[in-house]
Amino acid sequence: MEIIKTNNLKKSYMLGKVEVKALNGVDTSIEQGEFVAIMGPSGCGKSTFLNLTGMLDIPTSGEIYIEGNDVTNMNSNKRAEYRLKYIGFIFQFFNLFNELTVMENVMFPMMLNKRPNYKERAKELLDLVGLGDRLNHLPSEISGGQQQRVTIARSLGNDPKILLADEPTGNLDTKSSIEIIELFRKLNREQGQTIVMVTHSPEIGGMADRIIHFRDGTIGN
Amino acid sequence: MSSVFFYARKDAKKNWKMFIFVIIAIAISTANIIIINGFMDGLTNGFLEKTMDTSSGHINIYPNEQDKYIEGLGIKEKKIEGMDEVAAYSPRITAGGALHYKEKFKTVKILALDPLKENEVTILLSKIDSGETLAANDRDGTLISYRLANDLKVKVGDEVTIVFENGKTRLFKIRGILHTGLAMDANTVIINFEEAAEQLNLYNKASIILVKLHDEALSGEYKNKISRELGIQKIKEWKQEIESVLSSFKTFRDISNLIIGIGLFTGGVSVGIVLYINILHKRRQIGILKAIGMKDLQILFVYILQAVFLGTIGILIGDILGYAGTKYLEAHPFPDPTLGSLGPRFHLFLIYDTSLVTMLIVILAAAFPAIMAGRTNIIKAIWGE
Repeated sequence: MEIIKTNNLKKSYMLGKVEVKALNGVDTSIEQGEFVAIMGPSGCGKSTFLNLTGMLDIPTSGEIYIEGNDVTNMNSNKRAEYRLKYIGFIFQFFNLFNELTVMENVMFPMMLNKRPNYKERAKELLDLVGLGDRLNHLPSEISGGQQQRVTIARSLGNDPKILLADEPTGNLDTKSSIEIIELFRKLNREQGQTIVMVTHSPEIGGMADRIIHFRDGTIGN
Repeated sequence: MSSVFFYARKDAKKNWKMFIFVIIAIAISTANIIIINGFMDGLTNGFLEKTMDTSSGHINIYPNEQDKYIEGLGIKEKKIEGMDEVAAYSPRITAGGALHYKEKFKTVKILALDPLKENEVTILLSKIDSGETLAANDRDGTLISYRLANDLKVKVGDEVTIVFENGKTRLFKIRGILHTGLAMDANTVIINFEEAAEQLNLYNKASIILVKLHDEALSGEYKNKISRELGIQKIKEWKQEIESVLSSFKTFRDISNLIIGIGLFTGGVSVGIVLYINILHKRRQIGILKAIGMKDLQILFVYILQAVFLGTIGILIGDILGYAGTKYLEAHPFPDPTLGSLGPRFHLFLIYDTSLVTMLIVILAAAFPAIMAGRTNIIKAIWGE
């Protein structure tokens, strides 16, 4: 089943007086349960594509469908609701809330979604990512690899249909990077989690089911 | 809402050092309002009390518009005496004149009264700085206000000549120097009612009759009754007399409101600035909050809640400081040459009103940064564009 579909997706923005076309007509389709890597040189539009499909940004033109629903022109509230319930984000710079403990970081999106038993679920997820013994630590008290695992646990809290990861290993050493990708593989294999991951690294990208190559704002060969 | 409250609390806890300044600003602003308003109340009440004590009955009867004096005083006095709720009354004659002492002349207001009756209604005759008050049948004595005494350099025991407005003159002996703390301190002489009536040919007449009731709350009802019984239309209740005193405090009120406004504005601006800076520092966090699904309105509420939280602590501290300050100054007032002493008066409504107004200002001040936070662009916030 097709979970993400884009039609002629375009995004341009102004850099001073110059119009920059970040995406220039992207047609793509991602199936439920797929683990897809998006690769390409810097500035080719990988992250822009992820931001648009993750409803963080609005396209200049074109359409985005999530599970067959057109989400292109949803208002701000609907988009927030969709992000909360259907999409999990993992960022390159972890982006945890520094004032919250590991446990609180993971349970917070579930609290927003009024999910019952969020504490138990947060513990389960932290066990899943191997951080069951770091519940009350602050993000500043754990390593980069561990922080990224907390981000993954946080993104899974509301059982999202789609996990979007923007350079999830970009700030990690090789060992931590492999651990994160193995975790992705595990989630994909065991739970059928759809994962769309942007990466520069051919090794990391090679571990996905499929690679979509971007070049100059379009999908290349 | 629980998640909003949860994050607002955590974020405030993390930034408590920064927020201490906000709390201090709110506390000072709140205490400032309570104390200044307390002072204004103290000042106003001081003047009102003095006015009531010395210049007004519960009901004041004036001559009708077309008349200069109340005519048929004797009959009217009998009618007033016969009313159940009337505790006492005091007719007065007021007239213009001049005071002559050695080579000096000074224009004066002559206030003539019957000391026995007057003492039943006001405490004017007890406001003596030096010397003694006017005795019941003392037609040769006078009390003169302290500023007049200073101007003419007269003292108790001196003999002065009063020139009445009809040209008659009479020698009086100064029995005492009067100090009321009111405008009458400028140039008033007090003499015996009968003497003034004789000098001014005002038999059976008065300029005003002050009436004291057993229950001041009945003044409205009795005003109408007296009007009917005496056939006089111009009758004022003490509340109406007070209104004229209050209106003379309008400028003071305006100034104190301006000071309060500046204090509130300063407090509000500091709340706004600190929250604004906090939000600027938290831009990426706000972007992440939105990315994980927090709505614009929820983010706005996070910062409004923080402002309410800071406001509540600041206002509570300000209330305590304001209460303590007002109470202390109430017990240790500043010496004042006019009122004797000048201190604030504490009323519970000062706390309610101030707390409410300050909280509104705090919320208003937080509104702009909170709205700004809610409208944060996710992409720009997370990737620092």
